[in-house]
Amino acid sequence: MSGTRGADERKVSSLRELSPAIEPARDLWPQIEARINAERSTAAAALPRIARAVPPRWLAAAAVVASVAMGVWIGRSLLPAARPGAQSPNSASRATSADAPTALDVAYVSDPRYQRDRAALMKTLQARLAALPPPARAKVMASLAAIQRAKQDLENALGKDPGNALLQELLVNTYQDEMRVLTDVHEASDAGRGI
Amino acid sequence: MLVSRLAAAMIVLFASAAACASGDKSFERQVPAQARGVVDISNVSGTVVVTGWDRPEVSVRAELDEGVERVDVSTDHGRTSIKVILPHHSGHGGDADLRVQVPKDSEVTVSAVSADVSTAGVAGVQRLNAVSGNITAELAGSDLELKTVSGDVKLKGHGQPARLHVSSVSGNVRLEHGAGDLEAGTVSGSLVVSLDSARSVRARSTSGDVHFEGKLTRGADFDATSVSGDLKVRASAEGGYAYEVSTFSGNITNCFNATPSEPGHMPGHLLQGTRGDGAGHVRLKTMSGDVQLCDRN
Repeated sequence: MSGTRGADERKVSSLRELSPAIEPARDLWPQIEARINAERSTAAAALPRIARAVPPRWLAAAAVVASVAMGVWIGRSLLPAARPGAQSPNSASRATSADAPTALDVAYVSDPRYQRDRAALMKTLQARLAALPPPARAKVMASLAAIQRAKQDLENALGKDPGNALLQELLVNTYQDEMRVLTDVHEASDAGRGI
Repeated sequence: MLVSRLAAAMIVLFASAAACASGDKSFERQVPAQARGVVDISNVSGTVVVTGWDRPEVSVRAELDEGVERVDVSTDHGRTSIKVILPHHSGHGGDADLRVQVPKDSEVTVSAVSADVSTAGVAGVQRLNAVSGNITAELAGSDLELKTVSGDVKLKGHGQPARLHVSSVSGNVRLEHGAGDLEAGTVSGSLVVSLDSARSVRARSTSGDVHFEGKLTRGADFDATSVSGDLKVRASAEGGYAYEVSTFSGNITNCFNATPSEPGHMPGHLLQGTRGDGAGHVRLKTMSGDVQLCDRN
């Protein structure tokens, strides 16, 4: 025993002295493979439950809103144009134009998830609106127009006063409302399912 | 006697013939239900009238026009499901007038497209959804989640606290004698709310006006924002409240003789102050909408 230990404890003076590959005493792969297969089948059995646990669309929308809010925070906190009294020459010149993008716009536009979700909802909007009863369609279109006007008005006002926290908050609300309406219309157009 | 019986029989015969000619069908079914079970109702067009009763059963009565295929009623583990089924590709053509009686403590979910929905005497949680149908509901102290796209909403409570979550796109929302926590949002519809005792209120609109009248509990929070809609608030509060009213280009008026200030060189107005002990908080914000804050009479 001690002799074996003595052999094991032989000092290694160079890495080259070590064996490049040490074969295990037995083939471990069959056991590993069986275990992987067992885990796969367990996961497959649990899949319906997982599928049911997938958050509903409103939760996804909430996540989008949260990420948008984070974008707004970044816009307000980090982008120079958003800070009161910290206008860069560029942003100051942009502020004179009503259509100039604000820091908030930049934050929104730079959020890829918001862009992707909104684009997906906008892509099907016409078809979804067409599926609504005509009076509802007219009213919803009027509401969407009201949202567009509100966004435009807020962006114009922010063009004059980029650091205005009130306007930024209202613009965030309006973006959120737009997403809510688009999501509601999307869901509402599935006749018979309600909203 | 014989003549009157003959006349009655003729009337019944003619009524049946008329019903057959118009293609209308009647439907009636009762199923046993749990006292605190769940009742799901869906209807595309027509009406849905839900009332609570003391019996442990769900009763469904319906008048169906020719565009309706059938009504499915099923129960499973305390959940009763009532569905109006339209033929495939029928659009929104088939009207069904549903009258549903449920155990009064049931949790009720209604999904409608253009059908008008009304509930009364339901003490359990209500989830009411409609696209263009109007919704009228009686509140009885349990939570309410209500969503409509273009339908108008009328809610009547009895001053019992509950969590009320109401959202509309273009429908007008009116709530009377509510209490508890309210979260309400509308884009272009108006929001007219009276709360007997409010713990927290969050109201939001894009272009619709928001009118609130009511009493706030001690330490209550009240937030209302609008882009271009007007905000009109008449509130009284146990312990008073601190208020902050801000608008970018709207006007601020109040009944306290307080004067709004202009914050720095920026456009906009700000009104801040305290009523009573300032235990609660009232925050009102608009871009171009006017704001009025007054004590409740």
